[in-house]
Parts: sequence; structure tokens; C-alpha cells
Amino acid sequence: MMGVAKRMKISHEAVLFAILIGSILMLSIQSDRFLTVDNLLNQVRLIAEVGLVALPMTMIIITGGIDLSVGSIMGLCTIVLGYSWKILGFPLEMAIIFTLLIGSFAGALNSIFITRVKVPPLIMTLATLTFYRGLAEGISRSRSVRGYPEWFYFLGQGDYWGIPTQVFVLVLAILIFWFVLSKTSFGRSLYAIGHNETGAMFSGVPVNKIKVAIYTLSGLMSGVAAVVFVSRVSTTRSDMGSGLELDVIAAVILGGASIFGGIGTIKGTVLGFLLIQLLKNGLSLTGVKGDATIMVIGLVLIVTILITNLLEKYSSKDSSVS
Amino acid sequence: MSFFIELRNISKTFPGVRALHNVSFDLQQGEVHALVGENGAGKSTLIKILSGVYSPDDAGGIIIDGEQHDLRNPHEAQLVGIATIYQELLLLPELTVAENIFLGHAPKTRWGIIDWASMHSKSREILQSIDAGDINVRTLVGTLSVGNRQRVEIAKALSQQARVLIMDEPTAALSESDVNRLFDMINLLKNKGVAIIFISHRLHEVFELAERVTVLRDGEFVATKKVVDTEQNELISMMVGRKLDTLYPSTERVSGPVVLELKDFKRPPFTNSINFKICAGEIVGLAGLVGSGRSELAQAIFGITPATGGVLEKNGEAITIPNPETAKHFKIAYVPEDRAQQGLIRRMTVRENSSLALIRDISPHGIIDREKEEQLTKEIIEQFNIRTTGNEQVVENLSGGNQQKVVLGKWLATKPEVLIMDEPTRGIDVGAKAEIHKLMDQLASEGIAILMISSELPEVLGMSDRILVMREGNIVAEFQSKVATQEIVAAAMMGVSQ
Amino acid sequence: MNRLMSSIQSLTTTRTPIEVSGIRKLFFSQEMVLFLCIIFLLVFVGLINPRFVSNRNLISLFLGNAYIAVAAIGMSMVIISGNIDISVGSLIGVLATVSGILAESGYPIIISWIAPLLLGILVNGVMGVLVAYLRIPSIVVSLGFMSILKGGLIIFTGGAWISNLPEGYALSQLKPFAIPMPIYFMVILTILAALWMKVSPFGRTIYAVGGNSEAARLSGIDPKSTVLRIFLIHGFFVGIASVLFSTQLSVIQSTVPSYLELTIITASVVGGVSILGGTGTVVGSTLAAVLIATISSSMIFINISPFWLRSAQGVLILATVLADLYRRRRQFRN
Repeated sequence: MMGVAKRMKISHEAVLFAILIGSILMLSIQSDRFLTVDNLLNQVRLIAEVGLVALPMTMIIITGGIDLSVGSIMGLCTIVLGYSWKILGFPLEMAIIFTLLIGSFAGALNSIFITRVKVPPLIMTLATLTFYRGLAEGISRSRSVRGYPEWFYFLGQGDYWGIPTQVFVLVLAILIFWFVLSKTSFGRSLYAIGHNETGAMFSGVPVNKIKVAIYTLSGLMSGVAAVVFVSRVSTTRSDMGSGLELDVIAAVILGGASIFGGIGTIKGTVLGFLLIQLLKNGLSLTGVKGDATIMVIGLVLIVTILITNLLEKYSSKDSSVS
Repeated sequence: MSFFIELRNISKTFPGVRALHNVSFDLQQGEVHALVGENGAGKSTLIKILSGVYSPDDAGGIIIDGEQHDLRNPHEAQLVGIATIYQELLLLPELTVAENIFLGHAPKTRWGIIDWASMHSKSREILQSIDAGDINVRTLVGTLSVGNRQRVEIAKALSQQARVLIMDEPTAALSESDVNRLFDMINLLKNKGVAIIFISHRLHEVFELAERVTVLRDGEFVATKKVVDTEQNELISMMVGRKLDTLYPSTERVSGPVVLELKDFKRPPFTNSINFKICAGEIVGLAGLVGSGRSELAQAIFGITPATGGVLEKNGEAITIPNPETAKHFKIAYVPEDRAQQGLIRRMTVRENSSLALIRDISPHGIIDREKEEQLTKEIIEQFNIRTTGNEQVVENLSGGNQQKVVLGKWLATKPEVLIMDEPTRGIDVGAKAEIHKLMDQLASEGIAILMISSELPEVLGMSDRILVMREGNIVAEFQSKVATQEIVAAAMMGVSQ
Repeated sequence: MNRLMSSIQSLTTTRTPIEVSGIRKLFFSQEMVLFLCIIFLLVFVGLINPRFVSNRNLISLFLGNAYIAVAAIGMSMVIISGNIDISVGSLIGVLATVSGILAESGYPIIISWIAPLLLGILVNGVMGVLVAYLRIPSIVVSLGFMSILKGGLIIFTGGAWISNLPEGYALSQLKPFAIPMPIYFMVILTILAALWMKVSPFGRTIYAVGGNSEAARLSGIDPKSTVLRIFLIHGFFVGIASVLFSTQLSVIQSTVPSYLELTIITASVVGGVSILGGTGTVVGSTLAAVLIATISSSMIFINISPFWLRSAQGVLILATVLADLYRRRRQFRN
């Protein structure tokens, strides 16, 4: 791909992979419950929601944007799912589709302001983070919904041949997003927009249409994550998904994407969220209290970026002569 | 004669590139000294060394007032009295004129806070002294025109007691009247004893302003001559290292049918009602002052800021172009004025840039055909003679001329019928300029209609078959280039009767 | 920033620069708009429910939110310089707890008030070094710190509240001349900070670095040390805010209000600090903090379910940003 960036990207993923392997080794030494198939599969179950949302987030960050509202969209969707089914009486299948529509719409709303009115994504999604969470709280008034039909729990709690259902969903999503980002003209356009939006526009890249697509996709995947989540924990509450955006963004940045745009891969993001979940799991298995794990993750985030920055400085770079 | 500043055997190497090699340069007090050379010759590197932005490979080569100095950062250069004005003006639009002039060295009161009164009155004085007293020191720089911003930059340099003012392509973005004011200012400064070094591609400026000129080529020193002892062709051969046949080729061409016609085409507030047509195989030059609306007109045609009224006809049929994708569909291409921001994605490779306008076409079912892309890139590099290390070189590292060729290559690959070129040879060295002109001539012979926007009258007259002049959003004149002269065109541009 | 410059560069030379006359500038400033909104709300809601504008309510309104305004002062500087800090909420929680623990353990009260300041400066100093010298984007650094601080707080306190606070600790509950102490802090610090940013050379470099860091560097300003200093100053204000927060009640909870960092950033942004860096004032952010508090309080008094409060906040941010964008475009277009 791109000269300098390619070199940096490879070494970032290599660093990440090394840290991942290293952590796995360390943790499996510390606890013999860690490296079991059961445990590892269960971990993927737990990280599915973050993983699903991290995929479109990667695309958004590559274009130089950001979406802070994903957690709130997820929360709103969990409420919409519960309430359209229980209160409005939709058949559950319809409620699920309705939820996905709402999620997409929420994402699309973000994109309209970002493209038409030119509100910076950071601010727009900060506003909708508050707004959508507010809607969720307003609609639900802190009441929760339970008692979904049995078949519904299969998505979040069931498995095929021992592999949790959502793993299939996640893997499928990963493959699709990876392919689109790295092999299609849509994906190439994302990188172009991230490096130089003006240049992309002047070259005839349909910038606005693409932005609408990725933010809507982000809302949609947040909706999918909401359905998976409710299916997994069996209830609906308005504070769900709170803080999701942080895990998701951490995974993407950990994966090597630049917050300024133009750089990032699905492979990296996957490594990113796997690392986060493995750390969380490993730490809790070795007796470290649950909340210490967020500390470690914060630390790992900063250290990884530090290492990558230093590596970039010392590897040979092209430099411009002028 | 003792020299004020002397650079002896300066070399500067970057990883993989030798920017300067044993270059010597000297400057006298109060002298206006021009620095010329093709892109990549090392001029910018040289002045960055003088400004303290870069350090030369070996210490000891910089001698000022007879003493050796190491200019390790911009601040040290400033302390010695060297002030630099870059092409991208480095002012802060959200601060006032006075604050920008005294940025980093505002006068303070006894208690250490800013002495606003003093800052304002000193700013006024300095602006007066360069005949720019019409600028209000309290206005925000962001609201000033380009010409005025440049004056603020000069005032800023003077506020630091500059003894040398270095200017990199100072006239590139200026209108004719601003250029004249700048020349007057340079003479004013000269009379005050301020030495001036300026880089320019416009050789006539060298002859008008400078006393001496230094030529660099490929990072090496070629010669320093007194301006009176040389002339344009000699300078060009020194810069290019070979003789140039002609800068403005033009083969006999017959123009074909009307390809594009604008009828009452409007895009307020930039343009009023515009009417003209272009034929296949024709080069139409669009002349006008900076701000007359030429680029805005082109961008309206191309769909960046779509027209709000009137009719656009392609091959006789009315069409609407709401965005650049549609323009591409109608085989209209636009090579923009701002190469770095609008023409290229600088951090992407030659391959990625070359294919960007065509990306949908080489992606059946949305999937990029890499082979086709590599092939396309190779063809473009060969056809345009682009000097690059290969498909995968990041375009940021190409010289201006080669970057422009990538932009051209990208657009020509879309096989346009109408090619709009906005300042196609601005900031490009003479050698590459000739190549691009030859190319334009060839394209026109093949039947492409070319609309060329240019602020260089010799280029407009030399390349065009027909000349349109734009002023304040209107087309005010049309000439057959055979009968036009620079004076006639300039007069139309400025609205002066002959 | 360069995009803005190049689009302006295509203007002609014959236009005269815009000179907005003094009064007009004042009226259309963000600060005035905010002030008018506050007055409007007070009058409007006060008519509906007079208890809203009672002394008691107004005072408790200011009291409970003054610390947000104080924290927003430092945050405004950070944002003006082109950075952001989303860890501030967690840091306030940590510092408040530290303060409480010191007081509870018998240290002199003055120590328990000063320690959070120093600790705040230290923590933010580390962040500043990572951002300025190690060139890690501030969103990443503050994201990381937020996790670290949040986790650390819960581990440390185990969720327990601190309640054995000594007499005299409650700084916020002092009431010189019947006005609660936090209000003094809020007003005085805002005024001092605003003046300092306007008249001191360093204050101006904050704007310079945020506006165009490269230009600032080439003018002899060192953007790195400037950014570091800004983070240090921000740490100082966060420290003060945390003491005001911890001394509000006679217990210190182990959590801070949810989305606290969001509220603080909202106050800055709504106050006119542009997320693009380079403009804004601290007077604006303080007024905005007051406005946000007024809105939330007024919702209770006109019987709107507090559940809709957050939606209202979201709309408020958006409305302010749109107004800001509109204003900027008008100013620079002609």
C-alpha cells in the first residue's frame, strides 16, 4: 500500500501480535483455567458486541472521523427492542428488524449533520451520545424488560457444535469488513478521504455518500450488538452499552489506526479487541479484581502507542526534499 | 568588499537524498539577491538552512559579519537578524494583525504583561514604513486578503529587526497590483539597508528586482552572476543544463465542433452570467486577476460548487453537474490550482493517486483489479516521463513538476473530452513546464478541448488559440490570440481602456 | 487550518477587512448569548414556578455546579490549544477521595486541601509529557488515563464512602457573607483566568499553538513546552474543582456523577471554545456551566421528567455548535 505507512503498519501489527502472544503465554502460566477451549470461546462471546461495533468504527477512524455515540445507540436499541416487543406488541422478529432500522437511522442522523452542516464528528457524536442516551432513559424510565421467548436466547447464549452463536456472526462480519476495506474501491476511497478529504473530493470520490454509509453502518452494527447483548444477558435496561465507545475506540487505536485518519486495518482492530478481552479475562482468572483490568487496559493502550511511535521514529523514513 | 552573510561549502543530506552538495553563497548588505533553479535544485533547503530550520551536515559553514554561527533553530536565526517568509503564510487568523506581528516577542510592561498600547503603535509604525498603513492593526488576520497578509508577514519580519528578508516565491499567489506593491516594498526595504533573498520561477522578476542571481542545479552550485551581466536564456540553460527548444510549442490545429457551451451560467457570488463555448481540439486561455472568479467558474463547471442558474451544454445537450462524479461521467476533467491539497493525496503512492479518478472503472463489482492498476500506473509514468523510484513511491517526495504530471496522468487516464487546467505550470521549473506545454499541444491535436486558466500572460498568449478575459465574475473580453498582445489582455483584465 | 487559509486566499485584494464595531461585537458574542439564555430561563421558569428563583434554590444550584465551571477553565485551555482531556471526571473522583482519606486520617485540613492540587498537577503533567513530547494524541492519552484512574479508584475505595470527615474540612460549606464558598472560587478564578489569558504573553501563546502550531514554532514559540504547561495548569484547576466537589456534603461518595467529563467538555464547547482549537474564552465556559446547571434544575421545577434531561443536553450542545459554525462562516466569508 503506502510506502512509509506500510512499514509502520507492519511493525505495529507485529508488535501487537507479539504482545498478544506474550500475554497469552504469561496468563496461561499464571492460571491453568486460561488456555482451555471452553474459556477462550466464552471470551469471544463476551467481546462480540465490542467486536461488531469496532468494525465500522475502524472505517470511520480511517476517514479521520469518530463516532462517540455507538454506546448510546446500542443502549437506545436495547430499549427499542424491549419496548417495541413488550409494550407495542410487535412480534419479536419484527421488533428485531425495527431495532436495526432505528440503529441505522440514528447513525444516519449523525452523518447528515456531519456531511450537510459540516459539524465536526467529534462534536456531533458527543451531542448524540448524550441525546440518544437521553432518549433511552426517557423512554424506559429505568424500568427493565424481561421474559423473552426461549428461541431468542440462542443467539447470545447458544452454540453450534460447541462454538457460541455470536462467534459465527462476528467472524462473518469480520470477513466482510476486511474484504471491503482492503480489496474494494470503497475501501480505497476511505483511506483517500482520511489522508486528504479535499483531494479525494476533487478526484471525484463521492465523499458525502461514503460518510453517510459508514456512519449509518456504525449505527446498524450498534443495533446488531444490542440484539446480541440482550440475547446474552436476557434483559433490557437503559444504561446498557454505556462506555462501549471507549472499548471500541481503544481496540481500533490499539490495532494501529491513526486518530488523524488514513491508517488502520481490520486485522489490527481484531487483534486489538482480542487483546483487550484476553487481558480482562486473564487478569480476572488470576484473581485481580475486575476493575483493575480497566487500569491495565488503559496502561496497555498508552504503552503500545508509545512503542509504535518510537519504532516509527527509528525506522528509516522517506523524507521530502524541497 | 566584505560580505554580510557567507555560506561556504554547505552540504545537506537527508536519508536517501543529497539535497545540497558543496554549495557556496554570499550576500551583501542591502542587496537584492535572487535564487533560481529547477524544482529539487535545493533552493528551499538552502534557505531553510539560513533560517535555522535545518542544520548543514558539517558545522562551520555559516559566517555572518565575519563570525562563524551555528543556526540551530529558527529562534537563533531570528536573533541574528534573518527573517523568512514562506509560501504558505504562517499567520494566525484568529489573532489580530498587531498580535501576529509581535508573536513571540510582544513588548511587555514593567509587570510582565503585554503592553498593548506599545504593541499597537509600533505595529502601526512598521506598517507605515512599508507603505501599508492602510491596514488596521486591530483586525483579525483571518479577514485580510492574501496581499495584505503578506504585508503583515513582512511587517512581522521587520519587527524582529531583520537585516535579511528571505522570501520563497513571494508573488505566486498575488494579483498584479499586489505584485507591484511588493516590488515597491522591496525597493523601500533595500534603501533601508535590508538585504533580500528571494526564490522565484518567474525570471522576469529576477531581472526587474535583483542585483545578483545565484543558480542551483541538482543540489550543486552553478554560478552567481550580476543580473546585468546575464540574460534569460543563459539563466535557463544554467538551470536546466541543456538548451530548451521552445517553451510554447504550437502546431497547426483545426478546431472541431463545439464540445462545451455555457449559456447564462451562474454561480453567485463568484460568477455572474457566463457565456462561452469551447471546441474540440482548441486551447482556450482564461486570463484574469486573482479573484476574478476563474477557478470558481471551473469548479462550478466541474461540480465542486455547482451552478445555480443557466445552462451547460455538452455536445449540444443540456446537462447538470451536481458533483465531480457526474463531471467525470460526462468526460470533463479538472486539474486543480492547488496541487497539494486538491490535486493529490500526498501520503499515498503514485499508483494510488494515478488510479483514484478511475477507481470505479478498474474495479469490476467493486473489487479493485490490481493488475490493471499496476499497468495503468506504469503507462502513466512512461508516457509522462515521471521521475520516480517506482509505482510505490509516495507522491509527497516527488518534485513539483513530477507531482503535476501525476495529477495530469490521473485525469488523462479518464479519457476526457474536456480538460480544464487551472494554473498548470505554477511553481514548476522551466524544464517540466516545457514538457507540460508540449503535452497540452499534443492533446489538443488529438481533439481534446482544453480550457487553460493561467496568470502568466506569456503562457496565455503562447499556448492559447483563443483568449477569454474574466473580471469580477464576468467574461469581459475575447481575443484571437494571433492578434492579442500582453498589454491588450492586461488592460482587459484590469478594466482599463487602452 | 490550512484548508481555511487556502479558501480565503482566493479572495480579491480589493476587499476591505471587516471591522465589527465594539458594541455589535459584544452583542453577538457567545458570552452574551449565553448570559441572555440564563436570564431568559430564570425569568421563564420563574414565572411558571416561583420557587425556582428563590434564594435557596439559586444558591444550591450554583453551589452544586461551581466545581464544574472551575474544571472547565482548565479544560477550555486544553481545548483551545488543540487537545482534549476525557479523563477529567475520573481524576476528580480520585483526587476527592485522596483528599477525604487524608482528612479522615487526621492530617491537617490544609494538607487535605492542598494535596489534591499537587497530585492533579502531577497526573496531568504526565499526560502533558506524553502528549507534547512523546507525541501521542491527547484523545488516546486521556482515554488511557481515564481507564487507569477509574479502575484505580474503585479498587482503592472498594466502593465505600468516606464519612468520618473532621470538622472544618467542608470548604464548600463555608458561607462568607451568606454566599457559598464555591461561588467565590468560580467567579474569581474565572475572572483571573480570563484576564491572564488576555494580557499575558503566555496566555496568547495558548491561542497561537492551538491556531497553527507550525507557525507558532517558526515564530520562536516552543509548542511542546507550552502544551505541557497548559496541562499542568489544567491539573491545578482540576485539583481545586475536586476539593470543591469533595467538600460539598459531609460524605465523599466513591463515584462522581456519570458523564462528568462530558459535562465539563460541554461547558467548554458551549461556552464558545472551538473544538478546532484557537478560539474561545473561559468566561464563556463558566457561563455555559451555569446555563447547563440552570437547565437541569429548571427541568425539575417544571415537572419534566429528569429522564429527559440528557436529551436536552444533547440538543443544547448541537444547537451551540451550529450557532458557532454559522458565526465563523459569516465572519470569514466576506
